[in-house]
Formats: sequence, structure tokens, C-alpha cells
Amino acid sequence: MSLQDLVLLLVLPLLSLAVVLAFVRLVRGPSLPDRVVALDLIATLVMGIIAVYAIARNQPVLLDVAIVLALLSFLGTVAFARYLERSI
Amino acid sequence: MREIVSAVLVLIGALFMFLAGVGIVRMPDLYTRMSATTKVATLGVGSTLLAVAVYFNELGITSRALATIAFVLLTAPVAAHMIGRAAYFTGVPLWEGTVLDELRGHYNLHTHELESVCFSDLELHLPNIQISKFRIPDLSPVAGKTLAQIELRRKYDVTLLAIRRGSLVLSNPDGNVQLFAGDELILIGLPDKLDEVTGLFRSTRKEVVEGLL
Repeated sequence: MSLQDLVLLLVLPLLSLAVVLAFVRLVRGPSLPDRVVALDLIATLVMGIIAVYAIARNQPVLLDVAIVLALLSFLGTVAFARYLERSI
Repeated sequence: MREIVSAVLVLIGALFMFLAGVGIVRMPDLYTRMSATTKVATLGVGSTLLAVAVYFNELGITSRALATIAFVLLTAPVAAHMIGRAAYFTGVPLWEGTVLDELRGHYNLHTHELESVCFSDLELHLPNIQISKFRIPDLSPVAGKTLAQIELRRKYDVTLLAIRRGSLVLSNPDGNVQLFAGDELILIGLPDKLDEVTGLFRSTRKEVVEGLL
């Protein structure tokens, strides 16, 4: 079993399941901060998915997408937190 | 060999990220959920990025992967702190099994500022003033006297803030309050005045008792 097979057959399904679980929390809430935390987790999980997909497809260029996603998710979370505190 | 190390790292990362997903669904309140998502997911993504660096083994990719890990490690705590703070201020409830809420009563709901007026801070603002706690001994000359009889403020320039009597706390006691042996007094004043007062309270000599009254 090569690393590519391992990633495609085991790791990607596991991560997809984690995204589904985070999505459950996003839908159920109950409060807005819960949803922000769920969105933050989804962004982190997608970063992981991009990284393992770069291995599976042998495309290191995809790592740049993960970097951009890390930047954007941090900014989004900070903006949400500021909005929650009603200080913008 | 590189592939095996990379595979192990990918598996560890995937396992941790899956655990973060389980944690965010199963944990009872926002704050414990955040503990699951920030720490566990950050570790998972870091491990996965490390696997990428090991797998490709090129300088450009390794440096990019390490830079991303460093960025995630720096920003995850900041983001978590900001959400947690905002959630606490907007009144997201804690789990009913929570044992300790150290922020309760110490923050202002409107200005979102933490108020921490404790004795040590007060002493910072008033460097010459000292606050001290004093327990009245059994044979103290003041036991049984009222505050009006002792005249702490007029004679000794010392103010009594509160009396603790067992589990009871008398704050801002007036002149009719009687002192008993075993009471704990919270006194504020200049250090030498405080020493004088506590010395008198401890003494059992007769002339001191006469002088005091």
C-alpha cells in the first residue's frame, strides 16, 4: 500500500468525516460563537485536507492554497470576534 | 523510509483532526469545545504539514510548510482567545458542571473591561497606605467594646473597613458594632499607625487599657 493509497482510502475519508462533524456543530449552534468556532475548525480541517491532497496528487503547489487559507481563516475569526463584542 | 515517516505523520495528523471533529460535537459547552478544536486541530494540521515537508523533501516546500506551521501555531491561540473572550462577554453559558469561574463579577458588561480591584492593586495606587488583617486575641482590651468607644479613626488615623466574624462579614461597621475576641479586622492606614493599633489591641496591660478608653 503506497502513501497515495493510504491518503486516498483512509486519511481523506477520516478528514471528511471530521468536516461533517464540524458542520453538525455549525448547524446546531446553539450560540453564534459556537458557529464561529465550528467555521474556524472547518478552515483548519480544509487546510489539512489540502496538505494531504498535495501528497496524494504529488502537487506541492497546493501548499500555497493552505497558506492563504490559514491567513484568511485567522482574519475571519478575528473579525467575527470583534463583531461579537460589538466593538467595530 | 521518507514515505514511512510521512505516512506515520499523516496518520497522526488525520487522527487528531478527526478527534477535533468528535470533540466539537461531543463537548458540553463552548469553552470545552474550543479547547478540543484549537489544540487538537492545530496539532493535527501541524503534523500533516510536517508530513508534506518530509514527503517532498525540497527546500522551498519545506520552508513553506514550516512557515505555515509557525503561522498556525501563532494565530490559533490568538483567535481562540478572542472568540472565548467575546463569547464570555456576550453571556454564552458555561457547562453546569463547571467548578471555577474566576471572571465572575470582575468584568464590566458595558465597557468590556476587566476590573480587578483587589488589595494588592489598591496598594499600588496608594503606595503609602497599608491594608492589614488583624485577629483580636482572647484577652484583648478591645474585646467587648463598641467601635464608638475605641475611636480608631479619631485617635489613631486608622479606618476599619470590615469585620469578619466566623462566616459573617460586617462591611463598613458603624459605632454601635461591638468587637469580640476572635473577630478578624480589615484595617487601612499608614504602616506605623497600623502597628501602633495592633500593638494596643494585643496588649493586656492595665495602663494601656485605661489609656485606650
